[in-house]
Amino acid sequence: MSGNGIEVRGVTKRFPGVVANADVNITIRPATVHALIGENGAGKSTLMKILYGVQRPDEGTISIDGKPVSFSSPTDAIRAGIGMVFQHFMLADNLTVLENVVLGAERLYGIGDRAREEIERISDTYGFALEPDTLVEELGVGERQRVEILKVLYRGAQIIILDEPTAVLVPQEVDSLFANLRELRSSGHTLLFISHKLDEVLAIADDITVMRRGRTVGEADPATTTKRALAELMVGSELPSPQTEESTVTDTVLLSLVDVNLVDLRGRHLLRDINVSIHRGEILGIAGVEGNGQAELVESIMGMRKATGSITLAGQSLAEWGTRERREAGIGFIPEDRHRHGLLLDAPLWENRMLGHQTRAPSSRNGLIDQGATKADTERIVRDYDVRTPSVGTRARALSGGNQQKLIVGREMSGDPILLIASHPTRGVDVGAQAAIWDHIKRARREGLAVLLISADLDELIGLSDRIDVILRGELVGEFDPQDVTPQQLGTAMTGGRESA
Amino acid sequence: MRRLSKIAAVVAVAALALVGCGRNDEPSTAPDASESTSTGDLCADSTGDGPKVGLAYDVGGRGDQSFNDSAFAGLEKAVGDLGATCVEGEATEGEAESAREGRLREMADAGLNPIIGVGFAYSTSVNVVAPEYPEVSFAVIDGFDPDAEANPNVAYLGFAEQEGSFLVGAAAALKSEADHIGFVGGVNIDLIKKFQAGFEAGAREINPDIVIDVQYIEETDLAGFADPAGGKEAATALFDKGADIVYHAAGASGSGVFEAATEADKWAIGVDSDQYLSAPADQQAHILTSMLKRVDVATFNMVKSVADGSPLVSYTTYNLAAEGVGYSTSGGYIDDIAADLDALAERIKSGEIEVPTVPAS
Amino acid sequence: MNPAVLVRKLGLALLAPLIAVVAAMIVTSGVLVVAGASIGDFWSVIFSAPSGRNWTNIVNQSSMIFLAALAASIGFRMNLFNIGIEGQYTLASYTAALVAGLALFPGKLNVLAALLIAMGVGGVWAGIAGILKVTRGVSEVISTIMLNAIAGGIVGYLISNYGEQFGQGRRTTPIPEGSSFDGWALFGDNSGEVWSLVLLAVLAGVGVSFLINRTRFGFDLRATGLNEDAAVASGVNVKKMVVVSMLLSGGIAGLIWMPALFNGADYYGPPFQRLLGFTGIAVALLGRNRPIGIFFGAVLFAWLSEQANPLSLIADISPSVVQITQGVVVLTVVIAYEVVRRWSASAEQRSLRNAEAST
Repeated sequence: MSGNGIEVRGVTKRFPGVVANADVNITIRPATVHALIGENGAGKSTLMKILYGVQRPDEGTISIDGKPVSFSSPTDAIRAGIGMVFQHFMLADNLTVLENVVLGAERLYGIGDRAREEIERISDTYGFALEPDTLVEELGVGERQRVEILKVLYRGAQIIILDEPTAVLVPQEVDSLFANLRELRSSGHTLLFISHKLDEVLAIADDITVMRRGRTVGEADPATTTKRALAELMVGSELPSPQTEESTVTDTVLLSLVDVNLVDLRGRHLLRDINVSIHRGEILGIAGVEGNGQAELVESIMGMRKATGSITLAGQSLAEWGTRERREAGIGFIPEDRHRHGLLLDAPLWENRMLGHQTRAPSSRNGLIDQGATKADTERIVRDYDVRTPSVGTRARALSGGNQQKLIVGREMSGDPILLIASHPTRGVDVGAQAAIWDHIKRARREGLAVLLISADLDELIGLSDRIDVILRGELVGEFDPQDVTPQQLGTAMTGGRESA
Repeated sequence: MRRLSKIAAVVAVAALALVGCGRNDEPSTAPDASESTSTGDLCADSTGDGPKVGLAYDVGGRGDQSFNDSAFAGLEKAVGDLGATCVEGEATEGEAESAREGRLREMADAGLNPIIGVGFAYSTSVNVVAPEYPEVSFAVIDGFDPDAEANPNVAYLGFAEQEGSFLVGAAAALKSEADHIGFVGGVNIDLIKKFQAGFEAGAREINPDIVIDVQYIEETDLAGFADPAGGKEAATALFDKGADIVYHAAGASGSGVFEAATEADKWAIGVDSDQYLSAPADQQAHILTSMLKRVDVATFNMVKSVADGSPLVSYTTYNLAAEGVGYSTSGGYIDDIAADLDALAERIKSGEIEVPTVPAS
Repeated sequence: MNPAVLVRKLGLALLAPLIAVVAAMIVTSGVLVVAGASIGDFWSVIFSAPSGRNWTNIVNQSSMIFLAALAASIGFRMNLFNIGIEGQYTLASYTAALVAGLALFPGKLNVLAALLIAMGVGGVWAGIAGILKVTRGVSEVISTIMLNAIAGGIVGYLISNYGEQFGQGRRTTPIPEGSSFDGWALFGDNSGEVWSLVLLAVLAGVGVSFLINRTRFGFDLRATGLNEDAAVASGVNVKKMVVVSMLLSGGIAGLIWMPALFNGADYYGPPFQRLLGFTGIAVALLGRNRPIGIFFGAVLFAWLSEQANPLSLIADISPSVVQITQGVVVLTVVIAYEVVRRWSASAEQRSLRNAEAST
């Protein structure tokens, strides 16, 4: 199988007011892993959607194996042998692996024994170790991802596009994913690997293409290039990085959790015996594979879930307080999913400024909204936090992820908080915004706030935290000093030491 | 999009209302029902020099195979016999009282005389409009004067429905093999209770021990007169409980009662007009008789009184003696008991039997 | 905001309803063709100049439709589908008429008492659905539909057992003379009177508008509607908001028929105007749940219904055709707004690119 190369020539895609792709040129050799890197908003997703037939290019050509192709829907792309593994899995939890794989492709091998044999064959060939009859809800993140890959292979894909496949994985899982990818490559599959994690790209890719502002700005040979060179190609400038400063940790305990437990309706412990405290001027990092209780921990502190045990803020028990009182007492909250928990996308920025602060000045007085003061204060945040927007009347939806996040950070730093909960504060934001947000978190620490930092980016955690706790299945299973811990050690702790590095 | 479903339903219903006339594919001997689309031109084509009649229907309008159609039949006769011309209007569901008044005013302004409101719902609006047009004669079928001040130009045309119902009640008792019959009312209001009272009294006159079950489709919502599904449900319940004959006073909901009777292979009794004539062939075999409420007679008489120069005013009751109510014999299913029924009718006319207007229990 | 932007925004705001109305006219005309009726006759009747009396009726009907739509909009603004307005105002109208008929208070005080009772009953009836939702997770769509049926049953039972005889029907005791209003003959003599309590609709509109847009409560309500999760994270007690906004929605619903009651209807009985609750839901959609939009929607619906009344007399067309126009206009408004929203979103994107490029 040597016919799976892709040639992209001069592809341009315009959206109203935006050129998402401009004269994009990529040559993907057959049976290679080709990495496509670039910061958020660089045009990777648009290109991906064009390759997968979700969108049609305005100009330019795509050819597979030297033959020009034109897709009007993903169905066409699948027929041409292209498969896509999305960052967010599209699996039904309450169905088995077999059912998930067969769903929508019943015509290929039926839904019975032939389908089962085919799934087992693929799983064995590439070392996926998946049982057709396992319920997907019983699978870990890495296994689910393999189900997704199995799905596209089952449909006959020879070219597989993987959209940030490592974003949800711990280091050990990344390693096993890479092993799978190498198997696929050696069996003649062509892989397009989209990422912005440079270590990983260097570890797996045969070729690298870099995108910036909708254009392909360069290619690199992983054998000779360096992370720094790639990063500079990506952002077009020097790369910032998190770094700790002199400790500002004090003796005053600001947030204290004692024997906090959270049990769901089925009696399962979402949080078990959490005992932790954060001091003024301290950043506590929480490391963990997603879904191990981080969200529940945050929501328990915020009062969005009713946990048992004692939570005190500056000596005051929060037990009787709802979310509103807790926020009024000085908890700032940068949520994990800003679209879901942090913004009113269809409301103007100044109304978003009020969210979570609607009971306090400058948002309202005596139960009435103070539009003037709110707008003025939103102007301040826009200025001080470098939120790029035409006006404070613009709807939040129109802003890029980085600018939305800067607005949220600015908002949560307003109103004199004493505790800042930052959940994945730089997820999905561009490098420029990332550096700015790191600066703001460090400033918060200097100003004496206690900060609870939850992140999947271990570099970020190590770079910013004074202390790192690892959370696994709702329990805190180990504490590390960021001065002398490696991402590998954290990864081991995060997976319970199963796959020790 | 669930919030749109109601609107979609409105659109669909309205569209059906436009094209849904004349879906009666059975050949029928009744001139009024199956030809309702073609007779849409009755008023447009009428060119006589008799009275100009304004006929304002209640919700459902012409084509309900019951009350409104019966009024239309009277109008047809007036066009034929008296050279009347006419204009029709129709109430829509949930319309404002001002819309009813507006309809009457439009008719009066157009020079129509008499103007007849079909249904007691026109009572209040006629009471408002009639004084504004003292030279025009108004009539309200089933109507009443809602205030103490008498209107010199309004006729209230009532019916002794209890007397007709008495006769079909007796017929039901005579024909019931299970000694168990039922009654379906459209809406639980005094008007319909009159039907129930007469029906029960007639049945008990024949068989004091007969079991009579009663079901109403709605408590006050007049939609109960236009709900065939509700009618079917109510009748099916009665048949399931053991009744073998069910009488309905539920307007257009009655078609559901006939369906239920056909499916259960039992008997139904129609109301207002001779419903045997307008029913599909498969249902005809299950319509024992119909209580006739001669709205057509009342309508025609009103027009005639205006043509004669002495318009009817105040209350007129169409009872058995005035041949305003009765029973139908189409199908011949009650020919064997006709003599018994006629004897009862005579006793009512003579005053020997006084039929109650309120149900006993 | 510079004038050019303002003009463009205004243009976009007016564009959607305009497209919708034109589209609805085209569809209605199509239906007329299919039905074999005259398009010209139909539109000439609909667009004929209303008489003074027509205007009076349009104003009066608009006030009730407006109140109904306002009630629906409060729920809609926080994604609550209060389908139960019909039942709420039926029960409230009956209760208020009953109490006003008892004449417990003198003169206009009696009116005030009845209005409060109407709001209370409507609110409680809607509040039941709110409480069922927050305590038992029952969808308000289901419970309010059920409550409609129950309200109809209760009113029917009470009126047929305790109402006073009124021809073939029953009614509540008429309200004392001193408790009704005269209204204003705004459109000339012999043209009927505009109800005094039309002002109630104006007051409610201004009040709700202020509450939703200018108060913290209104912000919480809108935030919940826009993004419930974010509202929870911001400290909004969503359960409380559900109950409170159902109470509010039902309270407004309770007022729907009050203008009619105290301006001539005098009692609850056969002339009671039904289905306003459902009309209100359609008009709330039409008006995008904004009081000003609802105002225009209510006038449009009232205009169409009023003008359609003589259709069968003049043009031999069923007035039901107007219901098609009304239904279609709601659908096309939803579609047109979505189209215009996309246009304005891309305009916003453009200005954003400009802003980013300039920094």
